[in-house]
Amino acid sequence: MKKLRLLSLLGMILWTAPLLAGPEEKSDAGARKILDRVDDLYRGLSSHGKMAMKVKTEHWSREMKIEAWSKGKKKSLMRILSPRKEKGMTTLKSGENIWNYLPKVKRVIKVPSSMMGGSWMGSHFTNDDLVKESRMAEDFTFTKSFEGERDGVKVEEVACIPKADAAVVWGKVVVLVREADGQPLWIKYYDEDLELARTMTFSGFKKFSGRLVPSIMLIVPADKPEEFTQVTYLEMAFDVKLADRLFSLRNLQR
Amino acid sequence: MTFLLHAWRNIWRNGKRTAITVVAVTLTTAVLIVTLSLMRGFGDDMVHNATRLVVGDAQVHEADYRLDRSIYKSIANPDGILQAAQKAGIDAAPRSFSFGLVSSGHKSAGAMFWGVSPAAEKTAFELAKEMFEGSYLSDQAAGQVVLGRKLAKSLHAQVGAEIVAVVQAADGSLGNELFQVIGILKLAGEEIDRGAAIIHRQDFDSLFVSGGRVHEIALNAWDRMSPEQVVAKVSPAVSEASVAQTWRELMPQLASMVDMMDAALAIFGFIFFLAAGLGVMNTMLMATYERIREFGILKAIGASPWRILRDISTEAFVMSVISTSLGAIIGVAASLYLEAHPIDLSVFGSGDMSFSGVVFNPLWRATVDQQTVVVPVVVMWIVCVLASLYPATKAARLDPIRAINHV
Repeated sequence: MKKLRLLSLLGMILWTAPLLAGPEEKSDAGARKILDRVDDLYRGLSSHGKMAMKVKTEHWSREMKIEAWSKGKKKSLMRILSPRKEKGMTTLKSGENIWNYLPKVKRVIKVPSSMMGGSWMGSHFTNDDLVKESRMAEDFTFTKSFEGERDGVKVEEVACIPKADAAVVWGKVVVLVREADGQPLWIKYYDEDLELARTMTFSGFKKFSGRLVPSIMLIVPADKPEEFTQVTYLEMAFDVKLADRLFSLRNLQR
Repeated sequence: MTFLLHAWRNIWRNGKRTAITVVAVTLTTAVLIVTLSLMRGFGDDMVHNATRLVVGDAQVHEADYRLDRSIYKSIANPDGILQAAQKAGIDAAPRSFSFGLVSSGHKSAGAMFWGVSPAAEKTAFELAKEMFEGSYLSDQAAGQVVLGRKLAKSLHAQVGAEIVAVVQAADGSLGNELFQVIGILKLAGEEIDRGAAIIHRQDFDSLFVSGGRVHEIALNAWDRMSPEQVVAKVSPAVSEASVAQTWRELMPQLASMVDMMDAALAIFGFIFFLAAGLGVMNTMLMATYERIREFGILKAIGASPWRILRDISTEAFVMSVISTSLGAIIGVAASLYLEAHPIDLSVFGSGDMSFSGVVFNPLWRATVDQQTVVVPVVVMWIVCVLASLYPATKAARLDPIRAINHV
């Protein structure tokens, strides 16, 4: 019996192996691993942290402190701690929807789909950036476009082109990671005309709850290079226990 | 002046013939006047609807404002421009704009917020009168909002409902405020219907922390002067970074539509004039041909060809003056009636007719002016005289013997 089971297991592996290998032929396995690591960077079972968000635009610059919780890929909650005018404003993401709680008027409003491309809390992030759950390895065809040394660091670069049916707004995404530990250095987003749209740069690699992540994320729009949004993680804990009701609309109003 | 007297006498020598011609020319003149007045009314109404509702004869903006409607591109000296307009007797309304989110219950939508000065809007423009439900903003800031009809519908917002506005303020902070829906506008063009959330300027300032920025000054002279004159009057007060433009420059699409409509009306009018002119010409030709024998006798007793030509055309002219005078009286009377009692087109379709963002008035009103009367009258004079000249020349050049024997 034992032998038979082993045999059937072997058969199953042999049977499914070509299926698994199918897409891998187009894009290599090494590149897939790089993308998966970048995708899963901050995605734990759950997380709880505080961050500072600095936004500079042509007309103003300001800094906010934000407390954030997340559970799985689908749920997250972000509450503004400062400045005073926005204190208590809370964004709840659940699945594909985003709600904002506005303490001043004590109302919860849902962000309409037409505004998903709009700025989140005045930053260079869009509401879509918060919601998207796409995995690069699944929505893009990718190839390792560079491997070697740049500025004295061994790096790997992966170029990703969205699949025809993927709900992706970009025309191309290029990811650069450190070869040693797979930490991302930058991600460049290109629009549908393959013009650079924005660059996300990572730095300040730090260990939180034993996990190494970049603690500083800088996003610069290509058409306004003097503007930026910089997010710095001040505290971060991964795999903490969080109740589901934390991410409910009812809790949002508290 | 004896030839005028001759002409007058000649006209009444054959009363029946003259009566037919006079009736034909009179009626044609009257119909042409009414037609032109209706066309003029239609064209005026289109421009009126396009400009008197919100746009005005001209507007002032920061030079680049209309490219991206950025809240930061405001007019440098709005007060100076408002004063210049007031001095020139032009009504003016200052407006601020910015984009934001409005939400009512579980529904939310993007909207263009208008910060207006309600008192100025009420005197300078007619949008405030175009309420579907409720009323326009009160003159004092009171946390009220007027919504475009389709926006209100998509928000399921009724008059009296409470809506939340969430916006990115000019200083980068996030503004949010509660407003009460005080009114919902009638359909007034797609941009307003779907997007407009109109609030008081002071409410706008506190919501957007906009420091009194003015993005648009709309000017309306109510036909007292041309749009170009309006621009000329305010231009001295407009700083270099700003620009004053007529509605034709602001809405080139609509302007070209109006021009196209004008051209279509002109072609239509030309065909109409041609048909009417040929009808009158036919009557005149017949009336003159009938008298070829008479001209032959005139020639036989020594009248020069030139004299015959002069007599006949004078007759035609005198007759056309009589007929067109009668026609003008009838035509103007009918047109004035249609000006006071417009034709109601709504019987032919649903109440609201909008095209290319412009709402058409279902009441088709005639507009009588100098041109709609003078053009038909003068054209009729020319047609009558020309129509008499051909047979007259023929008669003048005739051999008298053959002319006398002409049947």
